[in-house]
Amino acid sequence: MNIQRWIDELLTRLGDTWRVYVLELRRIFRDSGVMLIFFVAGLAYPVIYNLIYVRNVVENVEVAVVDMSCSPASREFVYRFDAAPEVEVTHTCATMEEAQALLKAQKIHGILYIPADYESILLTGLETAHISLYCDMSSFLYMKNVLTAANMVMLDYMNNIQIDRYEAMNIGEEMSWALVQSVPFKAVPLFNPTGGYGTFLVPPILALIVHQTLFFGINMLQGTAREENTEVFILPGRRRRASVFRLLIGRGAAYFVIYMAIASFGMILIPIIFDLPHLAAVGDVLRFMVPFLLSTIYFSIFFGSFQKERETGMVTMLFSSLIFFFISGVSWPWESMNPFWKGLGYLLPSTWGMHGYIHLQSMGATLETTAREYRMLWVLTAVYFGACALLYAYKAWRMDTTARREQALRKQMVMERIATERKRIEDKQEKGKQFIEQHIRHSRL
Amino acid sequence: MVSLTRQIEIVLRVAKREVNMLLRRPVYIFSTIFVMFFSCVFFLTLFKTGSPEKMPIAVVDLDHSAISRRVVHELNATQAVDIVAVTDTYEQGRRLMQQGRVYAFVVIPERFYADLASFKRPEVVFYMNNAYTIGASTASKQLLTVMTLASGAFQREVLRKKGLPEYLIMKRLQPIAVESHFIGNPSSNYLVYLTGIILPGILGLIVLMITIYSIGLELKGKTSRDWLRAAQGSFTRAMVGKLLPHVVLYCAMGVTMNIVLVRMMHFPVNGSFVWLNVGMVAYILAMQSIAVTFVGIIPILRVALSAGALYGMLSFSLSGFTFPKMGMLPFVQALTNLFPLRHYYLIYVNEVLLGNPITQSLPAVAVLIAFTGLQMLIMRRLHKALLYQYFPKD
Repeated sequence: MNIQRWIDELLTRLGDTWRVYVLELRRIFRDSGVMLIFFVAGLAYPVIYNLIYVRNVVENVEVAVVDMSCSPASREFVYRFDAAPEVEVTHTCATMEEAQALLKAQKIHGILYIPADYESILLTGLETAHISLYCDMSSFLYMKNVLTAANMVMLDYMNNIQIDRYEAMNIGEEMSWALVQSVPFKAVPLFNPTGGYGTFLVPPILALIVHQTLFFGINMLQGTAREENTEVFILPGRRRRASVFRLLIGRGAAYFVIYMAIASFGMILIPIIFDLPHLAAVGDVLRFMVPFLLSTIYFSIFFGSFQKERETGMVTMLFSSLIFFFISGVSWPWESMNPFWKGLGYLLPSTWGMHGYIHLQSMGATLETTAREYRMLWVLTAVYFGACALLYAYKAWRMDTTARREQALRKQMVMERIATERKRIEDKQEKGKQFIEQHIRHSRL
Repeated sequence: MVSLTRQIEIVLRVAKREVNMLLRRPVYIFSTIFVMFFSCVFFLTLFKTGSPEKMPIAVVDLDHSAISRRVVHELNATQAVDIVAVTDTYEQGRRLMQQGRVYAFVVIPERFYADLASFKRPEVVFYMNNAYTIGASTASKQLLTVMTLASGAFQREVLRKKGLPEYLIMKRLQPIAVESHFIGNPSSNYLVYLTGIILPGILGLIVLMITIYSIGLELKGKTSRDWLRAAQGSFTRAMVGKLLPHVVLYCAMGVTMNIVLVRMMHFPVNGSFVWLNVGMVAYILAMQSIAVTFVGIIPILRVALSAGALYGMLSFSLSGFTFPKMGMLPFVQALTNLFPLRHYYLIYVNEVLLGNPITQSLPAVAVLIAFTGLQMLIMRRLHKALLYQYFPKD
């Protein structure tokens, strides 16, 4: 008998959750603004970002050479510099002024200046020959390319010069190499081997797009609910409101189901289509998406409930996309970040989502290796679910108290009216009684 | 024909109505002044230093000799990198990297000591994680310096034994040096390069969203006729009056931001600071015109806002300040012209970094001014929408 009641209770709760879930889905699909964010932005943005960065690496940045030395040695250097994939020597200038004018006109993005005494210094070997490099700072990648090319050529060329010198000193070739580079050093990029900018930037952006479209969509729905005063659901066919847990689970499930599809497109299918790194097992990414989406959903529901109108979420929070990106430590490393912002970043699902996603897809980690991010996302899910539960319990309590107060007020009014009515009747009766009494008294007389 | 003074009077009355509306809703104050203030504080305090330093790395010591332990010790002592772990196998190093705990790891090979002693040149391999580009390139630069120094120290020992004088040894160790000069940003400060465009970009988002919101709200709240009535039926006066307080606010914010960057944060300005601010004003007017165009094409508040947001967020990537325009596909390169931030970026490069004469900035300013004409195209449509209110409320 007890079990029967227990099962009934369970079925009621499941039924309530199901009703909330269906109601929320209906709200999502009826709202063209939310549909635009979820299905147009959520699906188009991954494609657009890939199109912007599809070429991935910047090569052949235009540079000018000012060769005052005009010697075999300087020509050798320029030749090697030109051969580097990062840059291309497009102009050879006679004077520095000429080259600077080209740079100011943005025709070139770097200048290699070789002084007149370059070769003579190298030949005497008594001093260091200086080569000057001028970098255009208008784009980070211009500077990086010009610097990398010049330094690589310089190191390479320097070793050759040193070897020649030692050999001239009658030190054998093998021994010379042992002297110049006692420990040869090789840098091997383990992940993102081309060092591409797109393959570095786009994966975290894909995760951020999922986070932000969900965030703005939920903000819009929360604002609408606040406008219509339907934040705390009244279940159809029942006179009581849904309990907080049933409400949150039902609503979360609606977003979760829709976003498992959208996120699968953005985070699994898009990397395959655009040939971004996709080293992880699909099952691992799917399993990672579960706490990522859940924490994002409850994070958004929590912060969305501070929106008073349906449109304000987008107006007030649009800049957050940039904040969330930079606070995550994906581009600027965590180690060089202000501890305050770093700590704040720990509280955002986007931070762990982006890192975990990079670890899985770009670095081929398993879910077991990504345990830290995975666990943090579950912790955040619990934290924001708890925060939502408290907030909604408060809202429901406030709604109940207002309702109770209204009811009490209404009751009081009714009572008062009854009282006045009764008094009126009593008065009337009294008057009647008096009249009759008087009448009788008169008639007796 | 209404006299000029009367016209101005009417415009000011509409402006006063707008100011009252701005003050009545906290969302305006929050999403303009507070958001801009917060963004400035955030981006100016986010970085501990202008360039990253001391990246965490791991060392995989396969040799386990006295000398390999000394290498680890010396690496740690250089303060250039932060060795967080010393492991015994390559797999462990790779795992640390996959966990995101190190940006790179150095493998000291087996028989390292024996090979070094017999001049067999044991090769040290350095694995870096390019999935985190900045961290990895910083770590690799730092390690390269350390290794070059170590190699130099070894040579110096040998040359000293050969009896070469000290002053000659130094020259011999480095026959060539490359001196780098960073035009317009001498310290190659990442902050200068980043915030100079990101903050104006955020200001642009604010202009876009708030302008759409304030016009769209008149439609949503069905107060647009009241607005036109305040302007005595003239659409032009209504628009000028409404946008005037906004323009004043945004320009004040933009110029204040530039003053903070240049005067307080000591950003370099090699060109004309005044002209940079002229560019800022033109940029704000261009963004506003685009906002009016959006709400004119779709006079439904919510949809116009969503569309504006989709457009606005793309500004950052397409301005080409991190990934240059030349690296994009040709049709994407053409698209960059549709974003005012791209043109402001060109003015910024010219006035802040390159210090060209102002004539170089003129084309970009001209394009921005051309953008302000864009709103003329949808004026009739917007006027009708305001008058008849025949678009759905949401």
